[in-house]
Amino acid sequence: MAENDERALQRVSLQSNDGQVITVDRVVAERSLLIKNLIEDLGDEAVMNEAIPLPNVNEPVLRKVVEWCEHHRKDPPQTTEDENDSRKKSTEIDEWDQKFMQVDQEMLFEIILAANYMDIKPLLDVGCKTVANMIKGKSPEEIRKTFNITNDFTPEEEEQIRRENEWAEDR
Amino acid sequence: MSNFKRASMAGAGSKSASSSAAMAAGGNNKNGSILNALRATTMIDSKPVLPAEILVTILDYLPVSDLLRFARTSRRMREMVYDDTRWVARLRSMGVWDEAEARRRFEEVMKRRREAAERAERERLAAAAAAGRGQHVIPGQTQHLFPVLQQQQPPPPPPVITTTLFDAGEEELRRKRIAEEQQKREQAIREAAQRRAVEEMEGLQDGFETMKVGGATSGGGALGGLLPTAAQQKDPFSDPEALLNVIKNARSIRGHARQEYGKIYGALAPFYFDLAKAKSHTDPVVFRVFRDPERQAQMLANLRTFAKSDWAAGWRQREEKLATMAGIFESAVLHEFETGYEFWDVDGRMHKYAHVLDLLNGGTAAVELFIQKHPIFSDKEVLANPMDCVNQALADDVTLEPSRRFFEVLTAKVNEQADIIQRVFPKPAEVFWLLMGKIRDDILTDYVTPLFDETHERSLAAYVKAVSGLFEQTLQFFRTVNAPKDEKNPKEQGALAKEFALKVFEQHLDLYLADELDYFTQQAEAEVGEWEKKLSEQDATAESFYMGSFTNRQADKKDFLTSFKKVVMMPVSVLPSLPLGSPFASKPAVTPTTATTAAANGGELQAPENPEQSRPVSPSLAAPGIVDRTGSPLPDKAPTDELAAKAALMTSRLEGIKSLFSIEVALSLVHNAKSSLGRAAVFIQLGGQAGGEAREQCEAIFVALLRILGGRHIKPGFDKAVAHLSQYNPREVSHHDKGGVAPLVTFIELVNVGDLISQMIDVFYEQQLTTPKIADRNDFLDPAGLAKKKFEQMLDESVAAGLNKGIDVLMDEVEYVCATTQQPTDYNPTMTTDPFNDAASISGMSVTTEGTTGSSSNHHSSSSNNNNRKSRYKSGTPSIWSLPSLPGTPTTPGGGSSNSNTNSLGPQDIGPTPTALRIRDLVASHTSMLTGSTDKSMLDVFNGEVGLRLFAAVCKHLKRQRISTEGAIKLIADVNLYYEYIRTLKNNDLLAYFKALRELSQIYLIDAKHHAKEMATIIADNERFSGVFRAEEVYEYAERRADWYSVRKEVERAMYGLECVVM
Repeated sequence: MAENDERALQRVSLQSNDGQVITVDRVVAERSLLIKNLIEDLGDEAVMNEAIPLPNVNEPVLRKVVEWCEHHRKDPPQTTEDENDSRKKSTEIDEWDQKFMQVDQEMLFEIILAANYMDIKPLLDVGCKTVANMIKGKSPEEIRKTFNITNDFTPEEEEQIRRENEWAEDR
Repeated sequence: MSNFKRASMAGAGSKSASSSAAMAAGGNNKNGSILNALRATTMIDSKPVLPAEILVTILDYLPVSDLLRFARTSRRMREMVYDDTRWVARLRSMGVWDEAEARRRFEEVMKRRREAAERAERERLAAAAAAGRGQHVIPGQTQHLFPVLQQQQPPPPPPVITTTLFDAGEEELRRKRIAEEQQKREQAIREAAQRRAVEEMEGLQDGFETMKVGGATSGGGALGGLLPTAAQQKDPFSDPEALLNVIKNARSIRGHARQEYGKIYGALAPFYFDLAKAKSHTDPVVFRVFRDPERQAQMLANLRTFAKSDWAAGWRQREEKLATMAGIFESAVLHEFETGYEFWDVDGRMHKYAHVLDLLNGGTAAVELFIQKHPIFSDKEVLANPMDCVNQALADDVTLEPSRRFFEVLTAKVNEQADIIQRVFPKPAEVFWLLMGKIRDDILTDYVTPLFDETHERSLAAYVKAVSGLFEQTLQFFRTVNAPKDEKNPKEQGALAKEFALKVFEQHLDLYLADELDYFTQQAEAEVGEWEKKLSEQDATAESFYMGSFTNRQADKKDFLTSFKKVVMMPVSVLPSLPLGSPFASKPAVTPTTATTAAANGGELQAPENPEQSRPVSPSLAAPGIVDRTGSPLPDKAPTDELAAKAALMTSRLEGIKSLFSIEVALSLVHNAKSSLGRAAVFIQLGGQAGGEAREQCEAIFVALLRILGGRHIKPGFDKAVAHLSQYNPREVSHHDKGGVAPLVTFIELVNVGDLISQMIDVFYEQQLTTPKIADRNDFLDPAGLAKKKFEQMLDESVAAGLNKGIDVLMDEVEYVCATTQQPTDYNPTMTTDPFNDAASISGMSVTTEGTTGSSSNHHSSSSNNNNRKSRYKSGTPSIWSLPSLPGTPTTPGGGSSNSNTNSLGPQDIGPTPTALRIRDLVASHTSMLTGSTDKSMLDVFNGEVGLRLFAAVCKHLKRQRISTEGAIKLIADVNLYYEYIRTLKNNDLLAYFKALRELSQIYLIDAKHHAKEMATIIADNERFSGVFRAEEVYEYAERRADWYSVRKEVERAMYGLECVVM
């Protein structure tokens, strides 16, 4: 118990790629499997004394991510290996997360990338779901715009695919 | 913290790394450097383009329609979306993907492709006419790639090779057609729905009104309402069957999972999403497109399956909606089923709606309803009163007739129900056994439990009988009902029956098994106790020993055992619980005939009766004699079967040992054990734990049998017999003319009976425990086997102890006979007494040899003997040491006859003396009695011991006699008699002694006066006696010559070679 208490009090510093250091509770930081594993591998002391550099993440995104982690600090810890069945049924995004994700698209993508990099599966899921919701109901052209995809189909080809999958067209 | 800051300020590169390392605490060098290395790397690419792996995750969350639209954005995206595993996963989630089938198809395709390739090769080689076409075949191309390739080709030119590979092209065309058609149809449906919605709002469509009302009132109406009124509206579905079976018809083709899923999606998604959006149960198109409940159910089931492949956001609501709709539908159908049930409309509504429910969700609801409300549970005919079994029986007994009737009625009813179930339900076996489960719980348990409780209170006997009997009936019941066949799960009805029967009896089993053992023990103890009581009453009346007929003991025993075996093999019910008074009040004495006739018309005996077999049974010589002798104090029950007859015969024959133990008691114990075992053994077939417990209990019963039979019955009998033996004193017994030592005879009889019982137990063990695999003969730790061994050992020990005593007794008797019957004139017909050896010394000698226990009769007899001798001495001629060659010597008055014997030496007198004859007979009869009753090695030991002791006795006797030359002939005859007898024992070591004795007896024949030298040679000749006698001993015997004192000098001179030493 004592150890747990100690842990709860420990603070960890995270450093974004633009040099900013954000100090958070250790539990919060450990929402990220990347950091959790890092602490486990390097030992407590090394990490306690130095900021952990996160070269892929800039400060605003890191703050956003930390905000999410703070809010979800009490969630049950994610297990690493339960995602074998990746195609499990998606759950609804809860209200707070929905609000949290109301950011511009660039930020959304950055958050997803950061979550991916820092290995925060639930945040990644929320992000992906949000993106999926963005795609819903959009035409291919709109999707291309959103995701910055270049169309390399000829119009005939595109028409062919459409016809191939007519069965799935909206009811 | 501060460390870190400073480090980062120090700059980049290895310098900072080293400085931070220096700052870091002790052993953290490495860790610090990793952090620094991480710090050193920089991200260049910050453009927010999501990598493919994240895109893939996002695609997982997309609904199918959006997914496919996404595929249209670029080639890369299309590949991602079209990835076969994505679609296989969806098919798999619906349970329609069959990996084995996919593999098979794949292999087939590969084969066909190879063939096609070969053909193409041939074509090219032959003419090269269609060279361009041949190039289309790319051997070795995996099928996975194929659709992609094909799709990349511009659509207009029809693919040439596709037909050889797949009918993919054709399939696609067809699918396209269907899709188009479907779209049109859906359009129509949508329109219709909208139109109808409007109409409904306006309240114009009364069909919907009735439906709502009907749903509230009667199930039939509700269903009717659910049936689409859309009938008059043009039903767009040309092939609704294809829709119904779309899931079933799905194929597993690698590379075509998307197309397959497309088929299903195309067919079901419109209904699915429509249903999800429906506000009330009247809305969904499903209920309008499909009219009859079967198809509606089928469709709902399909949709439920389909819902499993829907994992886009909002699936939960959709699924719940579907479940609610299905629930409404189900309850309507169930209601319909129930009304049909109430009217007992088996082939009509019940059948129909049971099948509908089965299509919908396996039909558990209908099955439950069917079983719950089944009339059999309130059927007065079935619900019998279990107390009949007790009330209709005698006190403390139970009759299973009412329960048999109960089961009969139940079987009939259940068979009727089985038929109905078969007509109503699509999966009759399942339903039937569920019904049986309920019958078991509600009817059987209710019937059985109070009955057991009641009988248990009344009496143990009734209880054990009831439990075992009812169990058998129950098992029989479950086994014989005509259960519908189950194709899918062909579980043996026998196994099920066992399972069910076990459930009923589980709670009673432990108590029963314990009680069965108690009951048996109690009964057996009582039996033995009663016998003992009876015995002690009889004890007052003089114990009468008598000698049985030993003529063909072994044959008798064998015969008895065969009939015992026969009886043991009979089923329990057939066994009469030992004859208790029967119509045949004939005397048991009429053994042979009664036995057979009684058995033949006893009725109860069902074993094949063979007169030839039973006739030799009766030793016709022996039987009447016995009966006469015993005065038939036999129990006046007539034997009702062969075994009882033989038991009676045996008993009569063994009258002599009835005070020790009784074969009848043993037999009845075995009987009880058998019926107890028979009852308990029924449970063994259950197998598993219950069966194991039952088996253990069976063994325990057997062990108890041996314990009571051995410990309580046989052992005391033997002990008593041995005690009798050790108390025996030949001189106390007034008459010795019977030719046997009574207690020894008794004892040997006992050994015989013990052996018989032991064999009986052996047969019982074989038949009852080994054959039905209750006990394992090869398992040396098996309790039954151990108990049996212990029992046999106990028997052997008792026999050995008894025989030891028996030998003593026998020899006492021999000595007694020697001492009392041997006339001094036997060996010394001239009866001239040695003046130095007076009568007193003889009498004294006899007293000492006969032991201090000598009683008055002993004294009396010996003193009379002495008197006799004295008188002879007085009247005899003292000075003549007669030789056979001196005829006409003055004779003694008492020994006149023997004198004349010696004088004439008539051939009739050369034979052995009566004493020797008697001894021979005595010993021989006792040894022969044992033959066949114990094992041979023990018999050999016994005989050897008897022989040795006989030898010693004879020697001792000889030393007490005075033998004249004439008497020597008699002595030789006697010794020859013994010798002949010993020879029959076939014991060579023993024979040597008697051979020596025979040699020895010859020294009396020598005329010592004239042949002192020869005599001395013989005395010193060790060879002659083959080491049995030493010279000193022989010398001692020589001293017993009647004329010893006259020849002694000569002989000694001859022996020692001295002319005169002392004289």
